[in-house]
Amino acid sequence: MSELGDRPAGIPGSELTGPWPVGDYAARLRARLREFTHVQVFGEVFGFKAGRAKVWFELRDSGGALPCSMWRREWDALGIEELAEGTQVVAAGGCDYYAGSRTSSPAFSFSVTDVRVAGEGDLLAQLERLRRALHAEGLCEPQKRLPRPALPKTIGVVTGETGKARDDVLAGLRRRGWAGRLVWAFAPVQDRHAAPAITRALQDLAACEEVEVVIVARGGGSLADLFAFCDETLCRTVAMLRVPVVSSVGHHTDRTLLDDVAAVACSTPTHAAEAAVPVQRDEAYAALGAAAVRLERQSRRAIVERARALARLSRAPAHHVARHRTRLHQHLRELRASARRGVAEGERAAGERAAALGRKAQAAELGRTRGAARARADAAALGRGGATALERRRRDLDRLAVALAAHDPQQTLERGYALVEDAAGEPVTTVAVAAAQPALTLRLRDGRVRVRPDPAVISEEP
Amino acid sequence: MTGTATAPTYETACARIEAIIARLDSGEAGLRETLELCQEGRRLVEFCATELEAVGQGLEELKLDELVARLEAGRSPAAT
Repeated sequence: MSELGDRPAGIPGSELTGPWPVGDYAARLRARLREFTHVQVFGEVFGFKAGRAKVWFELRDSGGALPCSMWRREWDALGIEELAEGTQVVAAGGCDYYAGSRTSSPAFSFSVTDVRVAGEGDLLAQLERLRRALHAEGLCEPQKRLPRPALPKTIGVVTGETGKARDDVLAGLRRRGWAGRLVWAFAPVQDRHAAPAITRALQDLAACEEVEVVIVARGGGSLADLFAFCDETLCRTVAMLRVPVVSSVGHHTDRTLLDDVAAVACSTPTHAAEAAVPVQRDEAYAALGAAAVRLERQSRRAIVERARALARLSRAPAHHVARHRTRLHQHLRELRASARRGVAEGERAAGERAAALGRKAQAAELGRTRGAARARADAAALGRGGATALERRRRDLDRLAVALAAHDPQQTLERGYALVEDAAGEPVTTVAVAAAQPALTLRLRDGRVRVRPDPAVISEEP
Repeated sequence: MTGTATAPTYETACARIEAIIARLDSGEAGLRETLELCQEGRRLVEFCATELEAVGQGLEELKLDELVARLEAGRSPAAT
């Protein structure tokens, strides 16, 4: 009705009503389908998928198929984990239709409100109930808490005497390099006697103190074949055993209740054997050898390093003394060398000085000789010169004596002249001076005469 | 010394050896402790080697009733 305004014209000539908007038609179809009576249908399940809100699967039989869906919360309330392919189920519900939209596809489904697993599905449902019960009672935990020996010496194995699982277990143990004691507890593994026999075998093995771990192994088979390993008594017995049980029953897609309660669940008997002996013997030997080497190395190093340290400490004083001795020796050598160098230097310098002195002595001797010669020459010359000079001086002296005598007033006095002197003995050469003197002395050739000037006769020559 | 005061198992012995080596590698152990650890380590290595030897002598296969019978007879089982 939402797009009536845009409704196109119908097909010309058609007697059918419409055209109607497809959404309207889908909504009315959904309403009509929901009016269908709710019923129970049964068939085999295929394509089971669990989503967050819903689970989906198809129910098929030879006559046809029906797509089914169920709200996830209703599915979870049933307590069924998952529906295996082909599981026969009875489903209750009614038709429903998802009308889709412009961006999502429409889908028809049978809306399931309840499911009952039938046939093998009944068996699975029973197992699931028992599984939940075992979990609820905590019986899946005791085995997992048991300590598992890394290197068991005695291993018990519960398996069919003629099955391939026996060889697989041996292959797994060989792969580990394990060659200890293996105790076989053969038991039927697939008929109605299997579960009690397996239970008894496990109890007997656990009763042997030497047995440290038990492997329960069986090859693949149908669910009915494996049902013996889902026996409640067996599972409760295993949960209480003192030895850890490693289970390997069926294929990896199967999971029996024994797998739940066992300490370890493996996919194949070979893996179960390897799980029972976690240590690979050759590798363990190598690791042990390496550990031994490291221990010895550490032990040696601990002693040697400390011994070296002690030796270093004990040698330290001697080294100190030796170092000083070496240094002193070095100083001594340097001193000696220095002294030798000094002496040599002194000798060389003394030699040089001696040589210089010698040269100087020679020079002095030569000088002295030359001086003596020169002195002699000078003496000779002096002698010669002295005589000459003496003569010359004598002659000069004579000449001077003659000249002096010529100028001597006495000589003049000798010739009759007189020298007039005053009272002080100074010569008087003028009339004025003579007139002023009270007395005069006349020096004559043979003596002095005191006279008194007469002022009346004193006159100056013009 | 944990795990060695009572009868050790192979795994406790291996764990102790690793702990001893880790302690020695740390260089924090003194001389006396080092020597004691080395001595303890040697003992544990010998123990582990004995354990490995014990499961390397040759596979001994017994049926359960044979083991039970021999245990009841109070004598050690022999190889089959």
